Amino acid sequence: MDRDQPALSASGVDKVYGKGDALVHAVDQVELEVARGEAVAIVGPSGCGKSTLLYLLGGLERPSAGTLTLAGQRLDRMPESGLARLRRHSLGFVFQAFHLVDELTAQENVELPALLAGASPRRARKRAQELLEQVGLSDRAGHLPSALSGGQRQRVAIARALANEPLVVLADEPTGNLDSAATTDVLRLFDQLHENGQTLVIVTHDTRIAATADRLITMRDGAFVDETSLTGGSSRTLAAMTGLQG
Amino acid sequence: MGRLLLIYRLVLGDIKRRRVQSALLVLMIVTTTTTLTLGLMLHHVSPDQFARTRLATRGPDVVAEVGPAPGSSRPAAKQLASLLHAPGVAATAGPFPIAFVQLTAAHRISVPVQAEGRDVAPTAVDQPLVTSGHWVRTGQAVIEQGLADSLGLRVGDTIRLRGRAFKVGGIAVTIEQGFYPGTIPGLVWLTHTNAGQLATPAVPLGYILDIKLTNPGAALTFADMPALNALGSATPNEPSMIEPWQGIRTDDYKLISLNQKVLLVGSLLLSLLAIASIAVLVGGRMAEQTRRVGLLKAVGATPSLIAAVLLAENLLLALAAAILGLIGGDLLAPLLSSPGQGLLGSAVAPQLTGSTAVIVVAVAAAVATLATLAPTIRGARTSTVRALNNPAQAPRRRPGLIAVSAALPVPLLLGLRLVARRPRRAVLSAASLMIAVTMVVTAMTVQHDLAATGQRRVPYVGLFISTAVSSAAHANHLLIMLSVILVVLAASSAISTAWAAVIDAQTSTALARALGATPRQISAGLTTAQLLPGLAAACVGIPAGLLLYQLAGGHLNEASPPLLWLLAVIPGTLIAVAAVTAIPARIGARRSVAEVLRSE
Repeated sequence: MDRDQPALSASGVDKVYGKGDALVHAVDQVELEVARGEAVAIVGPSGCGKSTLLYLLGGLERPSAGTLTLAGQRLDRMPESGLARLRRHSLGFVFQAFHLVDELTAQENVELPALLAGASPRRARKRAQELLEQVGLSDRAGHLPSALSGGQRQRVAIARALANEPLVVLADEPTGNLDSAATTDVLRLFDQLHENGQTLVIVTHDTRIAATADRLITMRDGAFVDETSLTGGSSRTLAAMTGLQG
Repeated sequence: MGRLLLIYRLVLGDIKRRRVQSALLVLMIVTTTTTLTLGLMLHHVSPDQFARTRLATRGPDVVAEVGPAPGSSRPAAKQLASLLHAPGVAATAGPFPIAFVQLTAAHRISVPVQAEGRDVAPTAVDQPLVTSGHWVRTGQAVIEQGLADSLGLRVGDTIRLRGRAFKVGGIAVTIEQGFYPGTIPGLVWLTHTNAGQLATPAVPLGYILDIKLTNPGAALTFADMPALNALGSATPNEPSMIEPWQGIRTDDYKLISLNQKVLLVGSLLLSLLAIASIAVLVGGRMAEQTRRVGLLKAVGATPSLIAAVLLAENLLLALAAAILGLIGGDLLAPLLSSPGQGLLGSAVAPQLTGSTAVIVVAVAAAVATLATLAPTIRGARTSTVRALNNPAQAPRRRPGLIAVSAALPVPLLLGLRLVARRPRRAVLSAASLMIAVTMVVTAMTVQHDLAATGQRRVPYVGLFISTAVSSAAHANHLLIMLSVILVVLAASSAISTAWAAVIDAQTSTALARALGATPRQISAGLTTAQLLPGLAAACVGIPAGLLLYQLAGGHLNEASPPLLWLLAVIPGTLIAVAAVTAIPARIGARRSVAEVLRSE
């Protein structure tokens, strides 16, 4: 695998819904490259297309136009079964609504991706225990999601996203349903992941979580309107990106 | 008025929005009400039909018959002569010659018949009543009504008896023997001369004598008289038979009583299957209905208005189903009640009475009310916000199954966990499939029994083949028909169960796909979730089917189908379940993951 190759890239990506007068451009000509180990935060108002972009990057939706690649592999042309295998090994998802399986304990939820990838029950269990310890929930391993707080549920979801050591973790509003204290816990966890070299793409409203990223991209009406390198200042101005300035 | 209009709009809107679910619910209730109607109607079949026919045809009190005896030193007709002056005999007709031949009708249908030579002039005892056409003439045949109905013969058609062409001159009813197909061979009447021309040296004529007694009630005693022993103890080469009118009546009603037995068991199984299926359907609708109750409460609807809307919707569907069920039962009942075929008074055979209609509608209404009560009560108890946000019951947790499934391939892992989520649904699904398997195994056993009986049957020498065998063969058609209905209903139930599971598990399957499960694995998992109850159903249904056959009076020692046939039911059931659930499972596996996860 080429280490200089971007982990994730999007070129000229469009996503439209509806037809005729009801046509909606959810994502409009997006260009993006995410380097390995980089953390990118995408912010913008509700309905601007952030989540749709995340689903496109994760191969959960197909673009109407443009190309998407993950570690050099084209996602936009890949059959559904190929996308599933890629998600299994190279992607981890964290959702705003947690999406934990209600009838499985925290540990069983974390084991699930490894079992789907064909790992033995023993190996899946061992990995789940390690991850729960990493997110500080080893004492809650046997609890059902209904017995966990919002913050704990999201930490379980993060542990689950890491189960198969993915190349990229995609997080959709990971602190959207959390109170302030739980948000801090999750922030700390993402920061820790970033420090460990995990590639992250986080869609968020929360400026605090955005501030932990290497790069901050602002979206409006489906398009990128600003991109700021948080380690080296804004790389391009809004005017430059919208073509108002030469 | 405004309130009624609102209820009307809400009911109509919901039915339109959930057409498939509504249609399935109607189908289940229609099946239940149809079988209920049939069961109730057949209990009302009039026993007067035999008496009426006996009176109208001057029916004999005793019938004595001597079969063909090739090379016998005793002429058949002379054997009957001793009865002409036996004590208690008031009048006789005959002996009439009988030729034992094959009747060939159109489309090369061939059945064994007795061709009886009769006088053109009416007789004092047993004068068959012509219901269509005219009585015997040279070159023409009169056909017994049950036989004519079974073969679709009408006056003017041509039949062949031992290769000789005869025109159908008339159709008549009699009680000289039971009607076809309850009694085989069938009966046709010719002139004396024509009947005599059908005899061959290998199969000479037999003779039949119709006897009227001074005391018809003593027919059974008369048939057992020592004076008749000589006739009754004839050798197998000289077959003979003495039948009192009570025996003939039993033969006629054997068919309907067997049909009633089959129908009783069938309708019981159908009702159980329908109840299981309705429970699955209603359970599936419950979550949506609870959400709807929450929505109506949120916009200010009172509990009574909500109850009225839900009740009106289910009642409307149930009433439509009840009407269809009554019509279906009314149309099917005459086909199942054979007394109408061969006896007088078919017009009065099974009637749809007011009480039957009331019972059927009441059952349908009860089902609708029960289906309404649960979501209404749950909706009233649940807070509006909770009803709107979390309408479905929390899935069950089965730690043992979850642990076991971890070591299995992905489709089995997903399937087993889906079953573990909703064990009640899996049990209902297994119950409905088990009922269908039970009926199929019973039908298979009856088929095998009939085939085996056919092989054991002594070569046909002229007299009646066992009426039990021919009645069972006829009832077997009914059994097959009921099995087909059950299988179709079980298939519909499996589809609706699979669909309910797809809807219920849409978030967890979308999540599994986001975590890397392929659509094929999801589809296989959803199908496996239906196959597991199917496997249990087949394993329980096979012995249950054999037990049902035994309980219905069959003898398993003689009739049990080969073990390989029975074992084949297991893969057969699994293939059938996989086939009918493949489409809902495939649809479930192809839903947009993003759409499902975003909607939560």
